[in-house]
Amino acid sequence: MRATGSRRYRQILWLLTTRDLKVRYSTSALGYLWSILDPLVMAAIYWFVFTQVFQRDVGEEPYIVFLLSALLPWMWFNGAVGDSTRAFLKEAKLVRSTKIPRTIWVNRLVLSKGIEFLFSIPVVAVFAIFGGASVTPGLALLPVAILLQAILTAGVGLIVAPLVVFFRDLERAVKLALRFLFYASPIIYSTHNLPAGLHTWAAFNPLSGVFSLYRSAFFASELDWYLVGVGAAMSVLLFGIGLAVFRRTERAVLKEI
Amino acid sequence: MTSPTRSPTAAGAPAGPVIEVKDAGIRFRRNRRGRRTFKDLFSGQSRRLRPNEFWALRDVSFTVRPGEAIGVVGRNGQGKSTLLKLVAEVVLPDEGAVSVRAGVAPLIEITGGFVDDLTVRENVYLTAGLHGMQRREIDERFDEIIEFAEIGDFLDTPYKHLSSGMKVRIAFAVISRLEEPILLVDEVLAVGDRGFREKCYARIQELLDGGRTLFFVSHSERDLRRFCTRGLYLDRGRLALDAPIDEVLARYAADTGA
Ligand SMILES: Nc1ncnc2c1ncn2[C@@H]1O[C@H](COP(=O)(O)OP(=O)(O)OP(=O)(O)O)[C@@H](O)[C@H]1O
Ligand SMILES: [Mg+2]
Repeated sequence: MRATGSRRYRQILWLLTTRDLKVRYSTSALGYLWSILDPLVMAAIYWFVFTQVFQRDVGEEPYIVFLLSALLPWMWFNGAVGDSTRAFLKEAKLVRSTKIPRTIWVNRLVLSKGIEFLFSIPVVAVFAIFGGASVTPGLALLPVAILLQAILTAGVGLIVAPLVVFFRDLERAVKLALRFLFYASPIIYSTHNLPAGLHTWAAFNPLSGVFSLYRSAFFASELDWYLVGVGAAMSVLLFGIGLAVFRRTERAVLKEI
Repeated sequence: MTSPTRSPTAAGAPAGPVIEVKDAGIRFRRNRRGRRTFKDLFSGQSRRLRPNEFWALRDVSFTVRPGEAIGVVGRNGQGKSTLLKLVAEVVLPDEGAVSVRAGVAPLIEITGGFVDDLTVRENVYLTAGLHGMQRREIDERFDEIIEFAEIGDFLDTPYKHLSSGMKVRIAFAVISRLEEPILLVDEVLAVGDRGFREKCYARIQELLDGGRTLFFVSHSERDLRRFCTRGLYLDRGRLALDAPIDEVLARYAADTGA
C-alpha cells in the first residue's frame, strides 16, 4: 500500500512546496532576498510618509516595528489569497492528471507563503533591537496568531480558488478587494486609532484580531481580546464556508480546467 | 506503511473486482461562453440536464477483476478518455458511482506533473513522489527509469530543453514504474519513435504478465488485439457492448463500415 491519508497529504504538500522553492532559486539569483525586500521597501515608504512627511499620531513607537509586525503577516495573507486566484489555472495539467486531494492546491499556497513569512521574522527582530523595542509576554501568543492566520487564509483561499475557475472576473476583483483590505485593516494604524463607532465593526475584519495578537509581542496595549475573539470566530466561520464551497464546486472545477 | 514489494499478483490482492462502475454518468457543458450562475454551481447533483449540457457518459456499469486487460473502443468523442479519467478519479461522476480499490498508474496526460524549469533528475523525483512513491523506492528505481528512457546524458538538463519525444519517454518511464496494480493507457505513445514505442509495448506486456489490470484506449486494432481480452464499446456516451475484444472489434467495424 502507498502511504495513505494525512501522511500522504503532508508528503505531497512538502513535495510541492520544495518544488516551488527549487524553481524560485534555480531561476532567480536573489531568491530569499526578494521575499524580505518587498515588505522592507513598503515599510520604508510608509515609515517615510508617516514619520517624515506627516506628523503621525497613529500607531506606537518605534513606528517601523509597529508597521512591520502587521505588514509581514499581511504579506502572507495577501500573497496566499492573491495566488489562490490562480491555484487551479496554474496547475491545471497536474490537477487533470493526478488524484491528489484537491484542497492541497490551496493549502500549499498558504504553507509556502507562511514559510516565507517565518523566514522574514528576523527582519522585525533586527529592527526591534536597533529601534529599542522590547518584547512583552505577548510574544507567547505568536503561535496562536500564526495558527489563526493560517485558518483564516486557508478559508478565504478555499472560497476564492474554485470560484475564479468559473468567474474569471473574480481574479481582478480579488486583487482590488485586497488593496482595499490593506487600508481597511490595522496595518499602518492601530484599531485604537479608529473612531469609537468603527471599533466594534473593525472586529469583524478577522485580520484586526490576528494583527492584534502579532503586535502584542512588542506592544502590550495592542492586545485586545474582543478583537481576537470575534476574529477567531470569523476565521473559523470562513474556514467552514471555504470547505463547504470547495466541496460543492470540486466536481465542476475538475470538468472546467 | 509501505511494503517493499508491492507485487500486484494474486497474492494478497482482493478476490473481488478491483474496479466497479455502477450507473455512472457525467455531463459536460456544451459551450463555455454560456452564462454560469452561482445558482447552478451550487445546485448540487440533480439528475436534470440544464440547457446546453449533455451527458458525455450515462448509465455505464461494469466491473473489472484483477488481471483483466480491457480495451476501450469507440469513435472520436464518444467518451473513452472521459471513462478513463473517471477510473483514474481525476473527474468525478455526476450520478452513479465509480469505486477503484487499488492504486492506479495513469498514463493520461503523462507529462502533466513535469516542471519546465527543473532538471530531469528533479522532475523524476517530483513526479514519482506526487504519484505516491516513497523517496527510497525512487532511489531504488531511478537507474532503471533513466535507462528505460535512454536519456542518461540529460539528467541535469532543464526539462524544457528536451525534445517532445524525450519528454514523453521520461514521463512514460516514470509512470510505468509506479508498480501500481491498475494501469490506464490513453493513446500516449503517439509521439515516441518506433523503437521506443516497441519498448513501451514490451513494458506494458511485462506489466500484464505480472498480473496488472489494464485499461487501454486505442484506435489501433492491432494493439487492442495484442493486449486486450475484453472490450468495451462506447457509443454516444452509452456502453453499447461489453464482450470479448474480437466481438467488440467486429461490432465496431460493422457500425463504422456501414
Ligand atoms: N472537460 C470537458 N468539458 C466539456 N466537455 C468535455 C470535457 N471533456 C470531454 N468533453 C466532451 O465529452 C465528449 C467525450 O470526450 P472524450 O474525450 O471522452 O472522447 P474520446 O472518446 O476520448 O474521443 P477521442 O477518440 O477523440 O479521444 C466530447 O464531446 C468532448 O467534447
Ligand atoms: Mg480520447
